[in-house]
Amino acid sequence: MVGRFLPDRLASPNVTLPFPKLQFRSGLRLLLLITLISLMQPAPLLIVPGPPQTVHTSHAIVGVHTRLTDEVEEWKIQRSLEMVRQMGSPWIVELFPWAYYHAADGGIAWEHPDMVMEHAHAQGLKVIARLGLTPGWARPPDTPLNYLDADAYDDFADFAAQFAARYRGKLAAIIVGNEPNLNYEWGYRQATAVDYVDLLKVMYPAIKAANPDVLVLGGALAPTLEPAGSPWGLNDLEYLDQMYAAGAADYFDGLAVHSYGLTFPALAEPGPDILNFRRVELVRDVMLRHNDADSKIYITEFGWNDHPRWTLAVRPGQRIQNTLDAFTYAEQNWPYVEMIAIWAFRFPAPTKSFMDYYTLVTPEFVAKPIYTELQRFTGNE
Amino acid sequence: MNKLATEFTETKEKLRGKTHFSLTTFHFSLPQIEFRSLARYPKNSSFQTRRSEHPQMRTAGAKPAPHLRMLRSSNSKNSHYNVSGSIWLTAVFLLTFILLQSGCKLADDSWERVQATGVLRVGLDPTYPPFEVDDGSGVTGLDVDLAKAIAEDLGLDVQFVYFGYDGLYDALATNQVDVLLSALVIIPERTRDFSYSTPYFDAGEILIVPAENDTIKTMADLGGQTLAVELGSLGHVEATEWAKRVADLEIRPFPTADEAMTAVQQGAADAALTDAISGRLYLRDNNGLKRLPESVTVEPFALVVRSENEQLLTMLNQSLATLQQSGQLDQIESKWLGQ
Repeated sequence: MVGRFLPDRLASPNVTLPFPKLQFRSGLRLLLLITLISLMQPAPLLIVPGPPQTVHTSHAIVGVHTRLTDEVEEWKIQRSLEMVRQMGSPWIVELFPWAYYHAADGGIAWEHPDMVMEHAHAQGLKVIARLGLTPGWARPPDTPLNYLDADAYDDFADFAAQFAARYRGKLAAIIVGNEPNLNYEWGYRQATAVDYVDLLKVMYPAIKAANPDVLVLGGALAPTLEPAGSPWGLNDLEYLDQMYAAGAADYFDGLAVHSYGLTFPALAEPGPDILNFRRVELVRDVMLRHNDADSKIYITEFGWNDHPRWTLAVRPGQRIQNTLDAFTYAEQNWPYVEMIAIWAFRFPAPTKSFMDYYTLVTPEFVAKPIYTELQRFTGNE
Repeated sequence: MNKLATEFTETKEKLRGKTHFSLTTFHFSLPQIEFRSLARYPKNSSFQTRRSEHPQMRTAGAKPAPHLRMLRSSNSKNSHYNVSGSIWLTAVFLLTFILLQSGCKLADDSWERVQATGVLRVGLDPTYPPFEVDDGSGVTGLDVDLAKAIAEDLGLDVQFVYFGYDGLYDALATNQVDVLLSALVIIPERTRDFSYSTPYFDAGEILIVPAENDTIKTMADLGGQTLAVELGSLGHVEATEWAKRVADLEIRPFPTADEAMTAVQQGAADAALTDAISGRLYLRDNNGLKRLPESVTVEPFALVVRSENEQLLTMLNQSLATLQQSGQLDQIESKWLGQ
């Protein structure tokens, strides 16, 4: 058979081949085998969002901050969001980094955000998108990812508007940036409320024009006691005060805040010199002082940590109790709080640090007891 | 936390700079290599190709490829361009590069430096009894005794330097200490920058059963039994996973690990699954219970050094082995955690 395809000179039995015919055939067979084996590789796993689901919950305030930005495999995104729904949480907060998607030529890689939004929608979840992190082309050289200056506000607003328009009907709210009252989050610069409000003034009309149904959330403010002039940041209450003074009230629909319990029980009294869960009440006081009773608060990060030796952690049982107490207390006492998201639902891989002890589900999708308790709390046992 | 991470990265870059292989130390001039490669073969051997025969040289006036230009300049008297020589040159250069990359690191003088000072600087977070705690009268604990024993074995003094738990690795990376000894679990993801000693303690989950119980030897023997755990703990998570494959295993959570073990002591549960530290401390102070020798999960504690400090790591491992063989390591463990 093989000989038929050889030149006559080589096919003739009288000609001494430069290599044995048998060897050639073996080689051809081997090549054929390799080709066949390579064709036998399993087809890529087909993941489809599936039929629309509904979140069943007796506590609509419950939410989680997912970490799907770093999740590569689609089935893991789907499984994460499925477990969020099964836990009875109607809300997710997720980071969509502008820097990851928006190219200098204006092109936007929508594949990953599409994947997250489609699966979240299929699971019946309300999505609060945290937009931030500046592409290299939109910031000066040698500046960090979270450096955003006024020259790039229009570009950021353009991206946010496209994001809001693209996910019409699937997107509940957009948070503009993250913890702007921390210098680190403001690109290692002095965090000023005036700068942030200038950003809101560009972002708000652009997002609303693209999709009036999407809520624009200001913040999310980090709880901190740093005084004015600190190299780390500025006290969140003072920062909020300055935001209102700079005219922020007309440029956000709701205020996003972070409210960690640290070592305090959920019901511990708040105080200006204490960081605990009920610091939200002091934030609300600032809003009321500025006649902003209409704006709701969205707690987009909160929770307790149960690392065995981190100094700001509690025992696992306390963590569960504090978390359940916090939801109950907020529902009963804070009509102005729309949702509370636990940081964090699951990480794609272990961080091997105290951060792992904030999660509800392991990277291998093993539900921790706190997940099971929350499931019971929302009536999804 | 993020600022620390940035500083840590910068520090790592600096450290890498220090360990860079220096070309000035191992200088080879390319002409020498080329000369040697040519010298091995006669000019008329089949390994040589005349300039006109070389594909890249056939076009009149064409400039030779960069690597050939290099050859010509280094061997201008030679009228031939040696293609095989260039292959050999490339091969020798690559081989040399690979060998230098793999084997010729900057000499590790970590042990000499420690010896020269006579002091082993140990980083720890003194808030984790019984491994290390400073109650105002100085630091004490299992790790403290172990550090002292190692230092004594190596003929050194020991100096304890305190850091917060989150800052321990940064302190080591920035050379503020020689070694970390602070109940640190081996983290495979960190081994690019740090090296771990052989483990000296396993803090994984262990099974506690009544002293007279001879039927429960592993988790698989818990079918139809009641297992006490601390609510929400890693033991609770592990027990929940086992309950999926062991028939009729009932898990009973308690607010603390001690309460879970008390339940076993009082007959309210057949066994308790708890971390080795809580379990051994409870057994030290209470009678009527025992721990099973095989741990259910493994959580190895080890000493940590910077990855380039291989000599120091070797010495620390040798010392740990000595302490193990002499029984001193067991004595230290028993002193703080009981038998």
